[in-house]
Formats: sequence, structure tokens, C-alpha cells
Amino acid sequence: MGRTRRRSRRRTLDARRARTAYLMLLPAIAFFVLFTYLPIGNLLTTSAHSGPRADEFTGLGNYTRAFTDPAVRHAFGITVLFAVATTVGALVLGLALALLLNRPLRGRVVFRALLLVPYLTSVAIVGLLWRNILDPELGVLNRLLAALDLPTQQWLITHPLATIIGVMLWQHTGYAMVLFLAGLQGIPEVYHEAATVDGAGPARRFRHVTLPLLAPTTLFVSIISVITGLQAFGQAYIITDGGPAAATDLYVFHVFNVAFEARDFGYSSALSFLLVVVILAFTVVQLRYGRRGEVRY
Amino acid sequence: MTRIGRVLAYVTLLAASAVTVLPLLYMVSLSLQTEAESLAGEPVLVPETPMWGNFVELFERAPFANFIVNSLVVTCGITLSHLLFDPLVGYVFAKFRFPFRDTLFVAVIATMAIPFFVKMIPLYVMMSNLGWLDTYQGLITPFLMDAFGIFLMRQFIQPIPDELIDAARVDGCSELGIYWRVVLPQVKPALAVLGVFTFVFQWNEFLWPLVATSTEGMRTIPVGLTLFSQEYFTIWNLTAAGAVLLFLPTALIFLASQRFFVRGITLTGMK
Amino acid sequence: MAYHLTRRDLLRIAGTATLATAAAPLATACGSGAPKSDTDGDAFTVYWNAGHGYQAYEKVIDEFEREHGVTVNFQKYQWPDLRTRLLADLASGTVPDVVETQGAWVQEFAVSGDALSLAKYVAADGAEMGFPDDWLPATVSRNSHEGEVYGLQLHYTCSLLLYNRTMLDAAGISPPSTWDDLLAAAKELTTGEVYGIALNQDSSYAWPWLVQNGVRFYDPDTRAVLAPREAAEEALRFQADLAHRHRVSPVPVPSTDYAGPQKLLSAGRAAMIITGPWDLKPIADTSPDLELGIAPVLRQKEQATISAGASMMVPAKASRPDLSWDFLRRITTLDVERAATREAGMLMPRKSWAEQPEVQDDEHIRAFADGLPHARDFLEEIGPTGRSGEIADNLFKTLYQSIVVANTPVSEAFAVFDEAAGRALAG
Repeated sequence: MGRTRRRSRRRTLDARRARTAYLMLLPAIAFFVLFTYLPIGNLLTTSAHSGPRADEFTGLGNYTRAFTDPAVRHAFGITVLFAVATTVGALVLGLALALLLNRPLRGRVVFRALLLVPYLTSVAIVGLLWRNILDPELGVLNRLLAALDLPTQQWLITHPLATIIGVMLWQHTGYAMVLFLAGLQGIPEVYHEAATVDGAGPARRFRHVTLPLLAPTTLFVSIISVITGLQAFGQAYIITDGGPAAATDLYVFHVFNVAFEARDFGYSSALSFLLVVVILAFTVVQLRYGRRGEVRY
Repeated sequence: MTRIGRVLAYVTLLAASAVTVLPLLYMVSLSLQTEAESLAGEPVLVPETPMWGNFVELFERAPFANFIVNSLVVTCGITLSHLLFDPLVGYVFAKFRFPFRDTLFVAVIATMAIPFFVKMIPLYVMMSNLGWLDTYQGLITPFLMDAFGIFLMRQFIQPIPDELIDAARVDGCSELGIYWRVVLPQVKPALAVLGVFTFVFQWNEFLWPLVATSTEGMRTIPVGLTLFSQEYFTIWNLTAAGAVLLFLPTALIFLASQRFFVRGITLTGMK
Repeated sequence: MAYHLTRRDLLRIAGTATLATAAAPLATACGSGAPKSDTDGDAFTVYWNAGHGYQAYEKVIDEFEREHGVTVNFQKYQWPDLRTRLLADLASGTVPDVVETQGAWVQEFAVSGDALSLAKYVAADGAEMGFPDDWLPATVSRNSHEGEVYGLQLHYTCSLLLYNRTMLDAAGISPPSTWDDLLAAAKELTTGEVYGIALNQDSSYAWPWLVQNGVRFYDPDTRAVLAPREAAEEALRFQADLAHRHRVSPVPVPSTDYAGPQKLLSAGRAAMIITGPWDLKPIADTSPDLELGIAPVLRQKEQATISAGASMMVPAKASRPDLSWDFLRRITTLDVERAATREAGMLMPRKSWAEQPEVQDDEHIRAFADGLPHARDFLEEIGPTGRSGEIADNLFKTLYQSIVVANTPVSEAFAVFDEAAGRALAG
């Protein structure tokens, strides 16, 4: 009898805690329903229409059009490339810098601040600034290179996609670095000490202790970075205007132009929805794969 | 660390810092140039005489004081709201067990997948129906919380030992009391991170303030800056001066929170 | 003019700060108590280009406000931002009273039913204000759709060849009048430091060449795009050759900025550029010593160039169309046009404007005024398809950059363009 009462008390306790949880979630649920899921519903409805006022019903027409549109395929391809390159770059550079700053170096607080500074500026300003720096004829970089008798560059013409990947990394690496630093400093020193006692050198300690313990951070950084990369817009909008010849026509920039330049909100809604599906798929795969890689000590 | 390793580390860090900082110094240089210098066909590295008057001109040619106030109100409003809601929601997902928890969490995380402009027109219509266009609440409400902040806070709150929370519960603390007195103090550094990143992100937001304001006096700084362009060219020195002003608050906020960042890094890891 | 925060602003800030923090979830649920600053009062909203906020217009606005007892909310945007904002407005149904437009927007919005037909106002007031007789014919047709007027031209400009007179004189070259002249001159003028000519990265700058070669963007009868095709290919090839084969022009860098060639001309690093009157002021400001020459309209198959400029339209759902029309009328009088020319060197659509001393006494403005009769609107025929946004802004841009920037073979670039343009026109 005592056991039953305890169990039922436990059950009411659980129910009460669940109620508390829902109560605390209520504002969030209301918020996301109102400001995300309602607009998404609207998006789906719009995606079944065409015309400048999106008032002619076409069913799945916009979706079939999307799958056969070479410009969309091209934009999607370079955007995946962009997202993967910026993610790998941010992971490698961010981790490398974090490892450096995790050492007892004098002035590391200053370095950390300086490396994060680009992240504090707006994409629009960063874009205008780099356009002003990189322009082959009018930019300040070629002027400096010429003054030093070095060959000048035409990257915005010769390697446009690589250039905006570089600008993205310039802005976002510091952010990855800060998160990695947080992860690194959360690893208790004892693990390294234990590994050292076991005779592991720095390289092995990094591979077998640091990396596995950093896995949650790596997962977080790569998910955020892939999402940011797939949604990148400002770099194309402000630096290259998607050019030359659509070489930097990033997906969201392309969709934005479908919506606001071509005024085809039906088509742009379908394209947006497809992107949401792709991003979700990427995220789920990363979560699955990332969880498998996690090691608990 | 060996001597050579130390030297290499410093060289790398110095080089990396130069890459991040020099372009921004060039922006400062642009902001101090005359219009002729900033528009010249030969780029000017250092202005002949620094034109501090550019910063005054910003305020003469546009209601820049309004822009600053609007940006501050909107960004601070949103940041405070994030600090209020994101940890609370993150805490619920991290420490409560209840039906549909994982489904709800995925539903929240999924919102990260949606680029903002996709929601822009429906939101605009909604705000227009509410009569909230051109108001602070219209600028703030679509950003009251977000999945990124919730995800971040959940990751930080998860490692807090359950025993700590249960002990408080046994002591008769209310659920909100536990959150306020037990959980939040444990993640103060993470809150600093959340606050700074939210501030920076919202401070630089462009698209929503562009469409959701209808009078010049309600514009935020990033939208206001577009006034310093002619039809066919950008007035570089003034735009750069505005960009410098735009950058200062984020830099100040970051510097002010540096202390917390350090502690954040030493006290709390990411799970 | 300096701006100050009013007490109302401060109250609003205080109110919102409270709202944002404490009552945030509440705020999403109740909308009735909120101030409706967007719709209340007598604000008369005008969307304008950020570069066109002339004093001459401010003066008209002051009079308009006094006359009608309204406050004009004069909102200035960059073109792309203005369009984004306008499309959001059209979706919500809350529209401004007057919109300044560029390109083929008037026709586009007339086709979609979002622009108000001005026919009845023109019938009533046209004779008195000299419309359409005093307007250059092209400025009337480019703002009409199926015989009805939907917009009034505000500014009307054209593109011409600007050159550094000192450089041409030193080389003993007279201003070119044909493509052959131009190529020869450019070769002569190109040195280690100076480009003979600087092409613009913006694809609309390709159009003077295309119209000189007799190309139409769209032929409504045959439904052909960029026809005749050989002429279109030749014109684009010629520009690509200037940059890649003859190396007398820098390869243009894609961006959203149009000012590159002007800066090179100002700095003495380019001898010739093709541009409109909007570059006159920056040139005068940044290089007051430059001796600027303006060549008459070039001739290849035809002596022609392209027009540019801004119009104004009234959204179909505007709540006070009579007031909107009155605004349009007031801002297009000859006196206002002259004042804007004096102030900003802008060119205007009235025929009588070209006779005025502001035009005749200024060598540069007169040169452009003389070019206007040769100017055509290259979007005029593609506008009524309702697809000019996609074809002219997106697809043609890609075509131009493929050929002139990336030096892609013409046939290859056109194959991509044709496929996409075909879809756009069919869909």
C-alpha cells in the first residue's frame, strides 16, 4: 500500500512538473507559432500560386519548375560548396586559433578580442569594405601590392566564389574560435595528465583526448556554420551582385531576386520551402553523425 | 612550450590579427577622408587632414540621433527579451521530462532553417493589420526569442547536476525560484555570450527595419546609412563614418563583457 | 537642418522598453491599444530615390502641405530597397500615395494592376499643364500601357561618351563618332597608366552599343528576344574585345556600384567613358581641373543611345488619388524642372525645358539635352510582357557578364540566355 501511494504521488509530481514545463514553454510556443509557423503556412499556400500577385493556382507547378530550372540547380550547387568550404574553413582555422590561445601566452585576451572583431561588424559594412579593398582598379589592396612590386590580383573576376568564401571566413572564424575556446577550457586538465602519464605525445593527446571531448562543440559549430552558409546572402548581395555571370549567385540571393526583382512570390516561396527541407536534412544528418562520434569518458 | 613554438604562436597570432584588424582600420581612414579623397580613382590610404567634421555631417544630413536611439531601443529590447526567454526555454528542454518534449524541441530547432526574408512578407502583412508598422513593438516582436539562443542555453544548462536542482526543490523553492536562484547563476557566463551575440546580430539587422519602418525618424542605423548614397554612387566617407559609429557600441558591449567571457570559458564547458 | 528628439519620441521609447521586457508575450496577443502611426493622421507618403531629395522638391512639398493641410512623409530609399518595400506594401494593401520609379516599373505595375491609370486626370488637366504636347514623345509612351497613361516622367536622361579633352588633344585625336573611330582612339590613348576607355560593370551600360547596332530587346510580333541576333552578338562581342582582345578597357568588376569608370576618368586613368549626366557632379567635385568633353551620340548602324530616368506612379489602392495627382502635377512644372537643373544638373522630360538658359548656357547639360532626341528606352517593348524584372535584371545581367567579364564565347552565353528567357516568357 505504501508503495502504491508513493507511486501515485510520484505520478502527480510528474504531472505537476509537466504542467510547469508547459506553462514555462507557453510564451515560446505562442511565439514560434505566431512568428514562424503561421508564416510558413502562408509560404506553403503561396508556393501553390503564380503571377505577380501570387493569385493564380498552379498546384505543384512551382516545385516541378524548380527541379528543372538550371539556374536553381547552379545556385544550389555553389551554395552547398560555399557552405561546406566556409564550415570546414571555420572549423580548421577556428580550432587552430583556439588551440593557440588556449596556451599560457601573454596578451591572449587582446588577441582573442582582435580576432573576434570582424564578427562584430555588419555583413553590409563588411561587404562594402571588402569591395572597396579588392577592386582590381580602384581597390587599396592592389595599390599596396603595386607599391611593394608584387603582382596585383583580380580575384573578384578570376576567383569570385573563393573570394566571398574568404570574406565569410574573415568574418566568422573568430566566432568559431570563441566557441572552441569555451569547449577546450571545459576539458578538465586531468584527462591530459592521465594521457601524458600513459606516455601519449602531444599529437596523440590531441587526437585521442582533445578531439573526442570537443565533439559537442564541433557539432554545434558545424551545424550553425552550415546553416549560416546555406542561408548566406549579404556577401553576394553587396560584394558581387551575384556575378560575374552568376558565379556567386548564392541560393538565398537567387530566391530573393526571384521574389523582389522578378516579383514571382509563388516560385520564390516554393524555392524557400525546398531550402528549409534541405537545411533540416543537413542538420539531422549532422546530428546523427555527430552523436555517433561523441565519446563519453 | 618550446621557445620556437612560442615565437611561432606569436607570429601566427599577430598575422591573423593584422588580417582581421587592418581592413577595419581602412574603414576608419575612409571615415576621416574628404568626399573627394574617398571617391578618388586613386585610393587614399591615410587622409591628408582627418575630417572629423564627417561625423558632425551625419547628424546634419539625416536624423542620425534618432537612428541611434531607435537602434538602441530595438536592440536592447530584443536582447533583454532573449535573455529572459532563451535560458528559460533552454532550461525546460534541458531539465524537464514531459510528453512531446523532443518533438517540441525539434520544432523549435527547425525554425533555424528558415531564412528571415522568407517570413518577411507574411510578417509585414501581420504587422500592418495590427497597426504596428513604424512602431518599436513592430520592430521588436518578431525577434523576441530564437532557436539559436535556446539551443545554446540548453547546451550550457544540461551539465548542471540534477542534484543541485532537486536539493533546491526539497528546500521548497518554487519552480521559477529554482530557475532564477539556482540555474541562472550557474550559466551567467553563457548569458554574457548570448547577450553579446544577440546584441551584435540584431544591431546589424537590415531587412526588417527597412520594410517595417515608414518614417525616416523611425529608421535604425543600418537602414539610415543607405541615405548616404546618391542614385549612382555611395558617398564613401559619410557611409564609413556611419559604419564606425555603428561599430562602436558592439565593440563596447564586447569589451564590457570580456570579463564574463573569460569566466565563461573557464567555468562552463559546452556539453 | 538638424534633428532633435522630441518628447514624444522619449515617451515612446520609455513605453516600448517596458513593453518589450515585461509584457512581451502579452503584446503579441493584443493589438488594439497600439498606436496606429502608419494609418492615422494626414500623412501623405511619398517614396523617393535617396539621390533625388533636391531642395527644389522640398519646396514643392512645403507648398503642397500648406495647400492641402497634410504632412508629407518623404521616404528616401536606394532603388532596390524601394522596390522591396513597395512589393511588401502591395502585398499588404497599405500603399504609399506616390512612388518614384525607375526602369520599366510603371509598365510592369500597370500590367499587374497595381498602378492607377491617370487617364481621367490627364483628360481633365493635361491641356493646362502641357501634357502630352510639351513632353518628349518617348517619355509618354514609356509610361503608358494599352493606350492609357500610368506614370509621369520626372527626370529624363541619356548616355553619352565623356572624354578627357586634354588627353585627346595631346594625342591629336578628335572625339570619335563611330565604333571604328572609338576603337582606334582607345588604342591610341591606352598607355601603361591610362585605359583608352573604361566599360561599366552594370549591364544596362551595354545598351547604347546594342541600340546603335539596331538591336531591340523584344519584338512583340515575332516574340524574339535580343533581335536581330547577329547584331546583338556583334555588339556584345565588340565590348568584350575592348577589354580582352585589345585590352583598351579594364575588365569590369561585377558589383552593385556604378561609379568605377567615373572614378577612373576623374583620376586620369581612363580617357573615355560612356555614362549619363549623373556622373557630371562627382567628376566636377573630385577632379575640378579635368577638362571634360562630351561627344555627340555615336553611330554604328544607327545614331542612337539609351534613355534613363525616373518616373512617378500612383498605386491603384492609394487612398487619395486626387491628392496624389496634384503632387505629380506640381512637381513636374517647368519652374520646378528648371530649379532642379540649376541645383543638381538633372535633365528633364519637357520640350520647353531644353530651351531654357539653364540648359543652353551650360555646355555639358546642353550636350545631353541634344542627345535626348536620339535616346530610346530599351525596356519599352519588354516592359509590357511583365517579365522585364527577370529578363532584363537577372538574365541579361548574366549574359553581359558572361561575355564581357568572363569572356565566354558569344554563342555559348546566348544558348544559356535563350533557354532561360524562353522559360520566363512562357511561364
